[in-house]
Amino acid sequence: MNIKTDQFKSAEIREDKIISMPSGMPGFLECKRFVIIEREEMWPFYIFQCMDDKDLSFFIMNPFLFKPDYEVNLDQAIKEMKWLTDDHKDIKIHVIVNTTAGIPEKITANLLGPLLINIRNNEAVQLVLHNSPYSHKHPIFAETGPEKMPDVNNKKAANE
Amino acid sequence: MLVLTRKVGERILIGDDIVVQVVEFNRGSVKLGIEAPETVSIFRYEVYERIQEENRVSSKTGDSFDIIRAAEAWRRSQG
Repeated sequence: MNIKTDQFKSAEIREDKIISMPSGMPGFLECKRFVIIEREEMWPFYIFQCMDDKDLSFFIMNPFLFKPDYEVNLDQAIKEMKWLTDDHKDIKIHVIVNTTAGIPEKITANLLGPLLINIRNNEAVQLVLHNSPYSHKHPIFAETGPEKMPDVNNKKAANE
Repeated sequence: MLVLTRKVGERILIGDDIVVQVVEFNRGSVKLGIEAPETVSIFRYEVYERIQEENRVSSKTGDSFDIIRAAEAWRRSQG
């Protein structure tokens, strides 16, 4: 299958790589098939491209790169999705990132709505976390990146 | 919208298998207990809305210039 996207050159998509999201994504419930596109120049980010709408894509990344202690209760998703697995290794966690035009260091990640992909059956769901301490706009450069602030007050603000 | 009056401890049934019970009422807050099948998603509405809105903001229709610059910044920060 060949999908032509606006922002990326045509990418060859293997059928067995298609990820289905039976319940869609909040805000885009009609989009149920996605694929992950890797581009060397974009690492550590990946493109999460919708197959039902060529104009719709997200950038995602592995949250543990910037938040090693990030925790998600996978059991909730396993139950909701009726996934026949209790092996958490089968489930890959990604988060959606959001860029600010012109200020690359201001990129944030949505830790409140992680994207879980079951690599056994290629199904995915975006969780909405309950009673979560996490932010939907977590700055990924806050603790390790070039925006690190020596000032205590600034650091506190960045962590909130 | 259907509006019902319920006392603490009373319940309503939605469909065949969703039960909502008023557990507690205190200073303008209502505590609800919900029994539903595991496959039914239950959200605090405003949290769901926030995710919805963040997805809309994050969805891309433009070019990939900003993400490539962010990727460069990330790789620089990792040394």
